Amino acid sequence: MPQHITLVVRQAIPDGPGTRRIVLQDPDGWPLPRWKPGAHLDIHVPGIGHRAYSMCGDTARSDTWEIAVKRETHSRGGSAWVHDVLKEGDAVAASMPRCTFPIADGATRHVMVAGGIGVTPFLAMACEFERRGAEWALHVLSRGEPPCATALAGWAHTGRIRIHDTTKVARPSWAELLDGGPAPDLHAYCCGPQAMLDSFGEATAAWPTGTTSIEHFVPPTLPAAEGAKPYMLCRSPTGAEIEVEAGGSMLAALWELGAKVDASCEGGICGACEVRWLEGEPIHRDRVLSPERRRTHLMACVAQCASERLVVEA
Amino acid sequence: MPEATAETSRPERAFQRAPSWNGAVTHLHITPRAFLPMRAQESVELVAGRGIAGDRYMLGIEQGYYSEKPEEGRQVTLFESEALEAILRDYKVELLPEEHRRNITTRGVPLNWLVGKRFRIGPCLVEATRLSVPCRHIEQILDKQVFDAMVHRSGLNCRILVGGTVRVGDEIRPE
Repeated sequence: MPQHITLVVRQAIPDGPGTRRIVLQDPDGWPLPRWKPGAHLDIHVPGIGHRAYSMCGDTARSDTWEIAVKRETHSRGGSAWVHDVLKEGDAVAASMPRCTFPIADGATRHVMVAGGIGVTPFLAMACEFERRGAEWALHVLSRGEPPCATALAGWAHTGRIRIHDTTKVARPSWAELLDGGPAPDLHAYCCGPQAMLDSFGEATAAWPTGTTSIEHFVPPTLPAAEGAKPYMLCRSPTGAEIEVEAGGSMLAALWELGAKVDASCEGGICGACEVRWLEGEPIHRDRVLSPERRRTHLMACVAQCASERLVVEA
Repeated sequence: MPEATAETSRPERAFQRAPSWNGAVTHLHITPRAFLPMRAQESVELVAGRGIAGDRYMLGIEQGYYSEKPEEGRQVTLFESEALEAILRDYKVELLPEEHRRNITTRGVPLNWLVGKRFRIGPCLVEATRLSVPCRHIEQILDKQVFDAMVHRSGLNCRILVGGTVRVGDEIRPE
């Protein structure tokens, strides 16, 4: 089943040093799925795998998505592919946008701090803040001209963006960047290199819970069921084993072991991914198996495990 | 009118003679590929044995989320507008006609009763093959928690026996 969205590159535009902005569309210009500021796309890089990139366009544009990619000196292949291979007209496979860095809806003032290419999610947020009439400020710390310089220039008239070229000026203190926070109705966001995120975390450690956000590309995992623990999943016909974290997908683990397990709803209701279990203590979270059936079978899409090892026939 | 005999007044005979349902098409939607939003249409072209022109599950050119699991009975899908109202009532979730991802939104049609039955949609004749089931995929697309709300009221899958143009407002009636 297609687990991706097929897009084509409509524009590939240099935008700041070493940065390329990619405008994506449906091949026929059909509207694209809605997304939220702070969302990212997993782009399939041929021969390499998926790479996550923050979306930097305006959510009000229903027909285009945008990402901006900086060429990394030590690229794992993704940024090099975007810069050296990808061209206008090419097809691209992408995931649905996933928002792990949402706007804090309860706040009325928003201060964003970006390190280099970490500016991308904030470009999408800025559009939304303007629509809402919210108070916002964006600080971009860069060495020299910032990434997405053209996009940032478009906001110059608002006076809400401060670019701190740290090759020319001293890096501002966190107290300066964070608008004197914590303060009522103020939310602070940070996206950048890990060192910056760590520093931001220390600077805001005393802020009230829920008033700061950090962007990182850790895929969301299922919440662990009560009593669920990490376990070793063993596929009985082959003896192949794989470690599954608490809350992780048994279905995905079985696929990784080469098992041809069907799947459909992936919510424990359709019955497609039923497998027989032989040893261990599965935690059932489906809605289709009878108590009797659960003694021998489980639904791999939602099942967890309470023992250290689980053997399934798949 | 002949006087009712004891036999014909039995409840089961009365049920057999009872007036049947009669409904209508309230909305039509298609999308060409998996994940993309459904787009409203004033009319759609049902092609016998294949699907809806321009829709992702048109057999032969499938590009739907489930197209790698071929199913003859997925040529056209239906959803009750009454179910949308019930979901709002029961779960306080507003699910719009363009969001349930079935092709035809109906009013006055008891979809869950029609598995295995043939019925008319405008000039077309379809046969219901199975109930649709909800899927987490729809929550991913909509960013709405609708999976639980759609259990047992997720619509109907049909194959197309006689094709033609279906328009918003067309009658839906038993064969």
